Amino acid sequence: MTTPTLAASARDLTRVYGHGDTAVHALRGVDLDLPAGRFTAIMGPSGSGKSTLMHCLAGLDTPTSGTVTVAGRALQDMDDTALTVFRREHVGFVFQSFNLLPMLTAGQNVLLPLELAGRRVDAELRARYDLVVDVLGIRDRLGHRPSELSGGQQQRVAIARALVSQPDIVFADEPTGNLDSETSAEVLGFLRRSVRELGQTVVMVTHETDAAAYADDVVVITDGLAADVRPVVAEPAR
Amino acid sequence: MRTVLRASLRTHTRRYISAAVAVVIGVSFIVVTSLLSDATRAGLVAGVEVPYRGADVVVTDVDADEAARIVDRAERDGDSAAVLGWTPQKVRVGDRLFEDRTDVGGIAADPDLRWQLLREGRLPDGPGEVVADVNAVKGRDVAIGDSVEIGTGRSSVEATLVGLVDTPSASIGAQLYLTWPDLRGLDSDLWVDSVAYAGPGSSSLAGTLPAGATVQPRDEFVEDRQAELTKEVNVLAILLLVFAAIALFVSVLVIANTFSILFAQRARDFALLRCVGATRRQILRSVRVEAVALGIVSATLGLLVGTGLGYGLVALAKGALPSGSMAFPTPSLRWYAGALVVGVLVTVVAAWLPTRRVVRINPLAALRPDDSTSVHTGAGRLRVLLGVAAVAVGVGLLALSISASNAVAMVLGGVTSFSGVLLFGPVLVPALIRAVGGLLGRVAGAPLRLATENAVRNPRRTAATTASLLVGVTLTTAVLVGLASSRSAVNEDLDRDHPVDLTLTGTDAPLAADVVDRVQAVPGVSSAVALDGAVGSISGAGRMPLVAPSGTDGVTRGAPGMATPRPGDIWLPDDLLDGLSSGGRVTVRVDGRSAELRVRGGSGWGEAAVVAPTTLARLTTTPATWAVWVRADDGADAEDLGGDLDAVAQSADADLVNSLRERSWVTLQLDILTATVVTLLGIAVVIALIGIGNTLGLSVLERGRENALLRALGLTRRQLRATLAAEALLLSVVATVLGTVIGVAFAWVAVQALVQRAVDAAPVVLPWGQLAAVIVVAGVAGLVSALLPARRAARVTPAAGLSLD
Repeated sequence: MTTPTLAASARDLTRVYGHGDTAVHALRGVDLDLPAGRFTAIMGPSGSGKSTLMHCLAGLDTPTSGTVTVAGRALQDMDDTALTVFRREHVGFVFQSFNLLPMLTAGQNVLLPLELAGRRVDAELRARYDLVVDVLGIRDRLGHRPSELSGGQQQRVAIARALVSQPDIVFADEPTGNLDSETSAEVLGFLRRSVRELGQTVVMVTHETDAAAYADDVVVITDGLAADVRPVVAEPAR
Repeated sequence: MRTVLRASLRTHTRRYISAAVAVVIGVSFIVVTSLLSDATRAGLVAGVEVPYRGADVVVTDVDADEAARIVDRAERDGDSAAVLGWTPQKVRVGDRLFEDRTDVGGIAADPDLRWQLLREGRLPDGPGEVVADVNAVKGRDVAIGDSVEIGTGRSSVEATLVGLVDTPSASIGAQLYLTWPDLRGLDSDLWVDSVAYAGPGSSSLAGTLPAGATVQPRDEFVEDRQAELTKEVNVLAILLLVFAAIALFVSVLVIANTFSILFAQRARDFALLRCVGATRRQILRSVRVEAVALGIVSATLGLLVGTGLGYGLVALAKGALPSGSMAFPTPSLRWYAGALVVGVLVTVVAAWLPTRRVVRINPLAALRPDDSTSVHTGAGRLRVLLGVAAVAVGVGLLALSISASNAVAMVLGGVTSFSGVLLFGPVLVPALIRAVGGLLGRVAGAPLRLATENAVRNPRRTAATTASLLVGVTLTTAVLVGLASSRSAVNEDLDRDHPVDLTLTGTDAPLAADVVDRVQAVPGVSSAVALDGAVGSISGAGRMPLVAPSGTDGVTRGAPGMATPRPGDIWLPDDLLDGLSSGGRVTVRVDGRSAELRVRGGSGWGEAAVVAPTTLARLTTTPATWAVWVRADDGADAEDLGGDLDAVAQSADADLVNSLRERSWVTLQLDILTATVVTLLGIAVVIALIGIGNTLGLSVLERGRENALLRALGLTRRQLRATLAAEALLLSVVATVLGTVIGVAFAWVAVQALVQRAVDAAPVVLPWGQLAAVIVVAGVAGLVSALLPARRAARVTPAAGLSLD
């Protein structure tokens, strides 16, 4: 399979919650192309629809109208099971908080997507696992449960989990929202390394300009409409 | 705080449903018990005084002969007396068997002492006439004018059916009523309940009676009798209440668990309230009022449900058994008040500990980031120590109960060791779940592994959830195993006392050669064997056929040879033993030859003596077929087979003895007992399963974000449902298997301590089928309890779930 130059794209995407007088138009016809092998930030203030956009792009939510193509597959016509299977094969996730299952160890959390897919951990996967674990520096934490990890460590485990199955695209939803600035920088650095060194595509939703500065491209979304993808001009100071 | 209380009651009502259902079931159980026992009491007591209306005094504690003497005395002195009693007799109407054992009672000669209510025809004028209970002949092919034969052999009575009567008093009724001379003529054990006596001689009656007999003025007797019947019903009510108590105990576990989970989920709310200035006392009071409100509402609902159920059951029972002893009950204020109080108390007691934990919440908890799912509760060291100690003490007491055959030690030991297991639950149950989950996890996929982790993440909650089911299953299996073991002991007794299912014995002449073939042809007959014999006269017992079993091992029950006497022995029917005693010697003569034989009493083979084949050969050279012994098919209907064989016996001039009837009656009693106890315990099991469904439902709420995360990472809806179903299955199956093991152990102790004293070497019998059924039913019910929570969990889309707080 050839890598498409576009990791994901949306055409005339709308999402309406509720109906009648109480209807909320979260997305009002978004057109968007996300290039593969890049680190893209989706920015916008609270309530701009950026989380909804991410949910629709990631197959977590079904758009009201419009099309979504991820990894060359149209998502809008898939049923719930097909979407789920698509997610576990092609998409990785890092959320703001509550990323890990409390009853599993860090190592089990990393392997969870593979287990859900019923994949056997063969030599190739084991090598991949070792690689991401080492890149993220969590090897000595693998036997711990999430409650025994710091916030930054938890996010690193979450990133490892998102990368272990080599997904076509990784979505990160405010991954630094709960972290102090030093840990934030570390986590954002890891996300960027995963693009540069591991060749992943990462799409990050954030409202922090500092965080967006780590990205290659930035999409600004306001009132349910996306501005064009434009490259980040300046590298951050640090 | 009142605004908060009202708002939280409104918000959380749905989450209290299972706790409410548990209380409703427990309370309605009590109400149904009260209504049923009241209906039974009213039915039994109604009309008790009717048979004695014309009497001056009532005599009790007399046997049939003494009763006969009282009647003779009354006749001599111009007084009147009526014997109230009955005897079970074989009854034929026309040439058909009516019933093998029908209760035959008496009808007084004095019209004032006649209490039966005439419905059709007329009452008997004297001997040779009989009346039947109208309910007993309903639907049967019996009409006035039919000839009725009551009893067997020489002492049987022929009478004409002249009327149908109704019985106003349930406690004294029979199916047929003969006049006294006929009743007395029956060669039988007449069981005398009482003798009603009227006339001037009443006052001097007491002096003429043997010691032990009781004479009471009529009113005093009636009062005593009513009190006695009431007491019997009360004993029954108390037994039912024991089961209600078990159901309520399980309810306490379910409710306590519900409150614990709800309060854990609301910990942040409580902390926030503390932050904004609520005192501990205010919060404590608020949650306790919540519990009281829940208790009052659900207990009231329980009263309504119980009343409906109780009246429904009484109506059903009256419809099914028109002649049965049930009247419509009057609700008793005391019972209703009691049930209401118990329902509220159970709720408040169950809520007590969880509410105490609520006030320990630190106000700062509200400010911590959302981690509501990490409500981890472990097993305290003290708790584990206590549990181990209780198990040790309990097992010690159980051992003592076996060596001393002491029932009190057994119950104490059972309760103590079981409490120990419950205390130890937070360690034991998760370990078992891990073991089972690990074992199955190798073949099943991610859902089962997730389910295992979910099921054990909160050991105390897991233990509390399974405890309720554990109680019900332990009791159920203990009862099943206990009853199966006593059933096998009883079967051994039956085999000994009734080695032959049915026997046909010639009355005056040997049986025709084709009888055995005709018997064999009857449906339900497994095998039939003709026995050689001869008529002999036995010193002290008179003339009767002697039969010698040979080749009968395929027909008799129990060990081979069970029904063959040793050479030199003779078995006589118990009721013909009269002056002879077991172990004594008799001389037996057949056509001039004689033998000296040792007597053993027994029963179950009809009116004949049984000797060894060698003994018979010594006594006669020309044996003839005197008896046919029959083995019924397993599951053959005793009444149908008896009726069919009776027709053969009639035409062959033989007497039929139906031991199968006795056997199936005993078996039926055990079946009824088993079914009743299992049904009553089933109520506790139902409550426990509601508890499991509830815990799961609350856990689903609690794990909303977690499940959304799993869905985002690629868990399909079906897999999520499977995860929850597997969790319920793990909980219910582990509780059931553990309960089965403990129940079997308790039953073993009970058999060792109690049954073995009565029956030698009674083995513990495991009813494998029933035990397997318990586990399967609990497993399926566990799955069912997961249905709603699983559906609710799977409905949430990942995007919606992730934005949950």
